[in-house]
Amino acid sequence: MTDPILKVSNLKMHFPVKEGILLRAQKFNRAVDGVSFEINPGETMGLVGESGCGKSTLGRCIARLYSPTDGKIEFEGTDITHLRGKKLLPIRQHIQMIFQDPMESLNARHTVGDILEEPFIIHRMGEKAERATRVRKLLDIVGLPSRSVTRYPFEFSGGQRQRIGIARSIALNPKLVICDEPVSALDVSIQSQILNLLVDLQQEFNLAYLFIAHDLAVVKHISDRIAIMYLGNIVEEATGESTYHKPRHPYTRSLISAIPVPDPHKQVNREVITGDVPSPISPPSGCHFHPRCPNVMDKCKADSPTLRRVADHQVACHLDLD
Amino acid sequence: MALLEVNNLVTEFDTDEGRVRAVDDISFTAETGKTLGIVGESGCGKSVTALSIMRLLPQPMGQVVSGTVNFDGRDLAHLTLPEMEKIRGARIGMVFQEPMTALNPVHTIGRQITEVLLLHKNITAQEATREGVEILDKVGIPSPDVRMSEYPHQLSGGMRQRVVIAIALACSPDLLIADEPTTALDVTIQAQILELIKNLQADMGMSVILITHDLGVIAETCDDVVVMYAGKIAETGSVFDIFDRPSHPYTKGLLSSIPTLETVPKSKLSVIEGMVPGLMDLPKGCRFENRCTYRTDFCQDSPPKLETVADHHHVSCLRWRDI
Repeated sequence: MTDPILKVSNLKMHFPVKEGILLRAQKFNRAVDGVSFEINPGETMGLVGESGCGKSTLGRCIARLYSPTDGKIEFEGTDITHLRGKKLLPIRQHIQMIFQDPMESLNARHTVGDILEEPFIIHRMGEKAERATRVRKLLDIVGLPSRSVTRYPFEFSGGQRQRIGIARSIALNPKLVICDEPVSALDVSIQSQILNLLVDLQQEFNLAYLFIAHDLAVVKHISDRIAIMYLGNIVEEATGESTYHKPRHPYTRSLISAIPVPDPHKQVNREVITGDVPSPISPPSGCHFHPRCPNVMDKCKADSPTLRRVADHQVACHLDLD
Repeated sequence: MALLEVNNLVTEFDTDEGRVRAVDDISFTAETGKTLGIVGESGCGKSVTALSIMRLLPQPMGQVVSGTVNFDGRDLAHLTLPEMEKIRGARIGMVFQEPMTALNPVHTIGRQITEVLLLHKNITAQEATREGVEILDKVGIPSPDVRMSEYPHQLSGGMRQRVVIAIALACSPDLLIADEPTTALDVTIQAQILELIKNLQADMGMSVILITHDLGVIAETCDDVVVMYAGKIAETGSVFDIFDRPSHPYTKGLLSSIPTLETVPKSKLSVIEGMVPGLMDLPKGCRFENRCTYRTDFCQDSPPKLETVADHHHVSCLRWRDI
């Protein structure tokens, strides 16, 4: 078996919440609270959860846009958790990111040519002419005409802008791309174009993806394995098919049954869970899901469950799931 | 029985680049006690249709140029403003996509819900408060009497949307227009809200017009469907017509391009190539022509009319018989 390209162990990211006259950090927002997982080369790990579950924060920690509070991130065997400044540069070449809203993640005052050339300049790659060739090649790969180089982001549609974002992310031949809700802002007919492009790129360049989204159907389509997050923790991890056909954790079950199915003949027997996601500043005791869980037991209120193996799943739940 | 009948509605906007036609000659009916879904991608005119019915188009840019909106025997498009105000909020309620912008951040929930009651009903402030609490309770808000004195920012997204629904339903309207009511919400909350709308509809016997881009939501909640594309109706029919026997290439394309939990992972999704034409430079013939796989030269020149496939099932495509 190959070594994982990324190994995350017990990662924590707590943001201080400043309050009071002196603005002292009295409380912490436990956005990511002890997450562990691995991604193999060329594999897609899907990360699903509702807003506020910490999935974007986790992605940003791995891209080292944040400095994690605790835990360890290893990329190809190197500990990158606390690297800073120049030492991060070679890592940045290999870990890239695609953001949800390309209008905000592309500099509106730069031409597409400038945007795509910048990674090469930062990493001091190639002469000007060579860089120009690479930029045209990138545009070709993502399916944009080469005359786009002199245009500005606003001249493109949402789907095309996302193609520019994707082109930028693969410019330096990364090994891991973190896709943070890359298709959520797009219309259905455009969404499938972008998903196809991402699958093609993965096969062509052997990319590993961490694919973050709230739409389970989209995530299942693109992922080899899926991790479900709830309030800063991974509650279940399994292959895409198994997550969908045999969900074990009560949260995963309710998440899957909540998805509207585009088939009017299907009568859904919904396990509707009540209530909202609690605040990560003061999460519930024990299992964070217990106030909404349909199968809650006394034990759940006191003890926080850790991931354990149930068949081919990893599940964090006290229930007897075997 | 038809509660709302939209006939040949045309809505135009004045923009810096000139006049654009956002909704172009559309007709449909909403039946009493049923749910009508309007589905389409951004810019197809589905929200403008709702705003035209409600006479809430941004002024002075947006104008209903022609057409009628018959609601219970009266043409809403030609009512005077005071007459319209008596209907809006009382007989037709509206729910918007983003509850934080639909609610006033500086007024309490109580003030916003009693406002509509005091406006449309001849009751005292105390009675309005009591009714307000009842409605909040009905839409599933815990400890409604406490919530009455709270502000929108103190509630979660799902709770805010419940408040917006409560306000829309305060006067027991005959028709509820919900414009993307769950798009800003998480799936578990979306399930709760859709369930709530369904239950309230059964309870109060009202009609619902649900505007969304999510075909899953349509399949689950609607009786009839209108598919819109670039300001026109592409296809309309019962939910079974649309999902089982789609006749327009656009409807077919939409249905096959969404990944579901059943599709094979990483398989090629079918796509609709290209993108929606801008409203400023619409093609002369069929608006879907530049993206359509069934296109002929004929489609380029002559705009299709809505043709009848079967009872209640209509499609706007010259080639629907061949495909």
